Amino acid sequence: MSNANNLTTLKHGEGSPVEGIKLRSDYLRGTLTEGLADSATGALAEDDTQLSKFHGFYQQDNRDFRDERRRQMLEPDYQFMIRARLPGGICSPAQWLGLDQVARTYANGSLRITTRQSFQFHGVIKRELKATIRAINDSMLDTVSACGDVNRNVMATALPESSSLHRRVCADAAAVGEHLLPRTTAYHEIWLGRERVAGTSGQDEEVEPIYGRTYLPRKFKIAFAIPPRNDVDVYAHDLGFVAHVEDDEVVGYNVTVGGGMGVTHGDPETYPRLADVVGYCTPGQLIETAETIVGIQRDFGDRVERKHARLKYTLAERGVEWLLEEFKSRAGFSLAEPRPFSFTHTGDLLGWQRTDDGLWHLALFIENGRVADVESISGLAGMRAVAHLLEEKGRGEFRLTPNQNVIISAVEEGDREAIDAVVAEHGLDGWRQSSPLRLNSMACVGFPTCGLAMAESERYLPDLVTRIDALLEKHGLSDQPITIRMTGCPNGCARPYLAEIGLVGKGPGLYNLHVGAAFDGSRLNAMVRESLHEQDVLDVLDGLFADYAGSRRDGEAFGNYLHRTGAMELP
Amino acid sequence: MFQALRTDNSPFTELQIQQLQQGLTGLDATQSAWLSGFIAGRLASGGSVPEAVVQPAAVATPAETLHVLYASQTGNGEVVAEELAERARQAGFAVELQSMGSTRPAAIKKIRHAAFVISTHGEGDPPDDAVEWFEYLSGSRAPALKDLKFSVLALGDRSYSEFCAAGVDFEKLLTDQGAATFSTRTDCDVDYEALATEWSGSVVEYGREHLATESGAASTAAVGRLSVVPQAPRWTRANPFAATVERVQKITGLESSKHVYHLELSLEDAGLDYEPGDSLGVWAPNDHDLVARVIDRLGVDADESVEVDAHRHSVHELLTRHRELTRLSADTVTGYAERAGRDDLAAAFEGLDDAGRRDFIEQRQFIDLVEAYPPAGTDRFDAAGLATLLRPLAPRSYSIASSGAAVGEEVHLTVATLFSDAIGSERKGVASHYLNHHVKPGDEVPVFLEPNRRFRLPEDRSLPLILVAAGTGIAPYRAFLQQLEEEGANPDVWLVFGNPHLRTDFLYQREWLEWRKRGLVTRIDGAFSRDQEEKRYVQHVVRDEAVRVNEWLDRGAHLYLCGGLSMGKAVEQSVQQALALGQGLSDEGAAEAFAELRRQGRLLKDLY
Repeated sequence: MSNANNLTTLKHGEGSPVEGIKLRSDYLRGTLTEGLADSATGALAEDDTQLSKFHGFYQQDNRDFRDERRRQMLEPDYQFMIRARLPGGICSPAQWLGLDQVARTYANGSLRITTRQSFQFHGVIKRELKATIRAINDSMLDTVSACGDVNRNVMATALPESSSLHRRVCADAAAVGEHLLPRTTAYHEIWLGRERVAGTSGQDEEVEPIYGRTYLPRKFKIAFAIPPRNDVDVYAHDLGFVAHVEDDEVVGYNVTVGGGMGVTHGDPETYPRLADVVGYCTPGQLIETAETIVGIQRDFGDRVERKHARLKYTLAERGVEWLLEEFKSRAGFSLAEPRPFSFTHTGDLLGWQRTDDGLWHLALFIENGRVADVESISGLAGMRAVAHLLEEKGRGEFRLTPNQNVIISAVEEGDREAIDAVVAEHGLDGWRQSSPLRLNSMACVGFPTCGLAMAESERYLPDLVTRIDALLEKHGLSDQPITIRMTGCPNGCARPYLAEIGLVGKGPGLYNLHVGAAFDGSRLNAMVRESLHEQDVLDVLDGLFADYAGSRRDGEAFGNYLHRTGAMELP
Repeated sequence: MFQALRTDNSPFTELQIQQLQQGLTGLDATQSAWLSGFIAGRLASGGSVPEAVVQPAAVATPAETLHVLYASQTGNGEVVAEELAERARQAGFAVELQSMGSTRPAAIKKIRHAAFVISTHGEGDPPDDAVEWFEYLSGSRAPALKDLKFSVLALGDRSYSEFCAAGVDFEKLLTDQGAATFSTRTDCDVDYEALATEWSGSVVEYGREHLATESGAASTAAVGRLSVVPQAPRWTRANPFAATVERVQKITGLESSKHVYHLELSLEDAGLDYEPGDSLGVWAPNDHDLVARVIDRLGVDADESVEVDAHRHSVHELLTRHRELTRLSADTVTGYAERAGRDDLAAAFEGLDDAGRRDFIEQRQFIDLVEAYPPAGTDRFDAAGLATLLRPLAPRSYSIASSGAAVGEEVHLTVATLFSDAIGSERKGVASHYLNHHVKPGDEVPVFLEPNRRFRLPEDRSLPLILVAAGTGIAPYRAFLQQLEEEGANPDVWLVFGNPHLRTDFLYQREWLEWRKRGLVTRIDGAFSRDQEEKRYVQHVVRDEAVRVNEWLDRGAHLYLCGGLSMGKAVEQSVQQALALGQGLSDEGAAEAFAELRRQGRLLKDLY
């Protein structure tokens, strides 16, 4: 228990080494500029690799070459992953074209849709970092606080039936995100060449009124959900707002606190946790509610043990009562009683849909979010063609979904034929052919670029799905949508603990198998087998599918069936 | 080998006997014989064994030290190792803490007492830092380790099937070579702390029993060992030493246009003492396929015996080991034209101006002549004439990339495979091709030392060094840095290095970055010519850093240039420009200041 390891007892900079780095960084500047100019290495200075996250990028290396390069006495093949900030996952055709250009000029020729409605670029090298970030900014997007110990990209349900609701909730999400941005001008100085403004006091109140000089203990994630859709997995976030709607108006938000996925193998002090519904706020109280919760986590989150530093632990150990008291004393008002709400699913409804305003939306399936030109799918070229088409027509936008898919959004009936043609031509109509399991699959990036990966993820899940599909067919379950998610490590980027089948990487070719989550994201799964090879995974699933096919109730989802029957001993 | 010395059967004191025995232990017959002659010679000439010959050893030799070596993926191993080292220090015996990733595996040969902390990851795999050790100890070069006593702490995770496998395997590798454990291996699960502490205790206990006494003895005998410095070189160009190849490793990255290799050759028992800056001569035979092709195209008999330098060899042997096939001369061109009956070749060559002839020769090898101008007529080509037609095969010379003080009886080379960029599509340099692509670990290569007294570290080791190199020109600087590191010298060092791409072509990048991190290198400027639109070379760095160049030279810096001749010339110009700029000199004044640097011995060049 480390309840006292926080800013109420520690000085700024005390605790984990990252705290010292943040404190010494002069509000996120560090020695990034000097590191970019170092011509002897493709890496940044070690401490700066922590700070770079606040600017939206991670230093990585191509792990496929690590061993070979060690023998060659060369440093690792350093490269950078850059993440854009895209509140609600909304992107104009012009922005898409700008990012497409960045992907082809500076990155590895692919765009990756993240599980948090944003874009990632992989494979950018150090001497092109500045040009890349500038190009992203030229597209009227930025990368500020896309990673790091701050609030990150704010998510929102991608496609509710009501377009006005979507506009409203996205605007609220963007406003919260905007309000919680760091205020330091380090980003603009380092990447955009702006002069540092002199003459300020340099005090926290002035430079970082919300975060202070050491920012948050750990990352902070916010999502907005519009029931009955829970595509954002609102319970997986530090802070969630669930729209309460009356007569097509958002009259308030239920507030959820304390969700999070990250776990460390073999450390029982860490666990995935679903958020609690702690109260309800009016739209007018929204910003202050968010800022207050962030402030509480800033002061009470664990500053010593980073793997124990998310808000979920602060809340689990101190309790909801404490949170509400603390909230009241800081905000000057109490959160109201929660209003009832319910969700039906976490996946995306793929294919064409019509919203209440008569506009049409085509949700495309993008396997594991990778938009690239490979084999039969010319994803990058195809999406580029769609963007050009929308520009020509002067309407429409893109929406990235929390399930790593893309929606071609807000087009008119008459545009559908042309869009369908382009989509089919480029092999992007996978939503018509792929199995329900594949359409409900998600994987993190994993090898070879992610420094945390212990096992393959994105490069492997598509093959595994093919094999599991064969089992489903054998048991007559081919039409049953089942969520399956894979991550290369236990940190949970693809939210594997909320999948009906979750596979969490343990070592090369080894996965922990989790099953039994609710289809609507309201119940975590549980680990039932540890360190399995592929064949063991298939054997276990084969048995479970046989039971399920034989004894399920009408319309009962796989995870719910396992939970109800105890077909598998769930802890 | 010799009768045991005692105070009652010799004129020596107890201490001297200890020293002598340490010094004489392990000498082979040749060395013992040499030493007896050496001392006898000294006495005969009225001298005594000079002071310089007896070199004091460090207080705690590797043999008397507990080496704590760790390799782990997460950092837990490092923590455990640090704690153990601290406990050992408190217990009062000599201890050395090292990451296996930054320690050469061959160091194990000199270690007598070691504690290893090794984690396991994935399916029983060793951590990255230990991979080289596993390869070394399971390979054909694994040394006998019968004098090594050790213990292993294995870190693992029981939820994996191969629990602690790396630690288990490592222990076996060592015992397979004859090493013995002094305490039982401890295998730890994720909650390793308690077991690790217990294990550390057992290691410290062992140290108390075995090391405290040993290091106590060592401190009274501080001038421990005799080390013998040989006088005249036994190995020469004519009588080269057969050095065993230990390692051939490509050190340019996958997508590099360059093929640069790092070679490690054993000089064990050669008595070849070299200094940083020296070069190594290498005798390399001509490529087998090339020889076969020449023989085939000339239509001569490979087995025909011909006279070569007063010996008789087959044509095949002549072309393989005694004559140049990869370097042409004007005499060879005209001589071949005559013997092959190709007046057209003679006319074409004579028709060229001087520069044209030089280009002609540089861009071709003998095989190109033979293929473009095959012997005319039906007469058999006179094989015996080849011995006079072709130039004698010459050894190739490489700047040594290591310091003997650091690598012991080894010599390291940095060799770029030469591909002629001219007529023949696959014309290879003889020695570079031989070393990089032909020899394998275990093969022997004839070598000899080529001292280069004009390219040495300054005697005053505190003077700043500006080291400018392109490509394999970085080799002697690696030797310099190894030497400085061994001596504990720490002058300001500035490396300016050029090659095409940072990502694939910064030779020995890891070592240089490590030296910079540890403060042994002050500054590194990379000039990676193809990493930006406009090509950038080392001379551009020197030009752009004019202020710094002047500042360093003002502090007495020595400036070193190593690499191609044209690079050397360009950098010299840049230095003169920098001098002109920095000191407000005219071109002539700058030339004079530059000449003065050279006179002072502060401009040192190794250009080729």
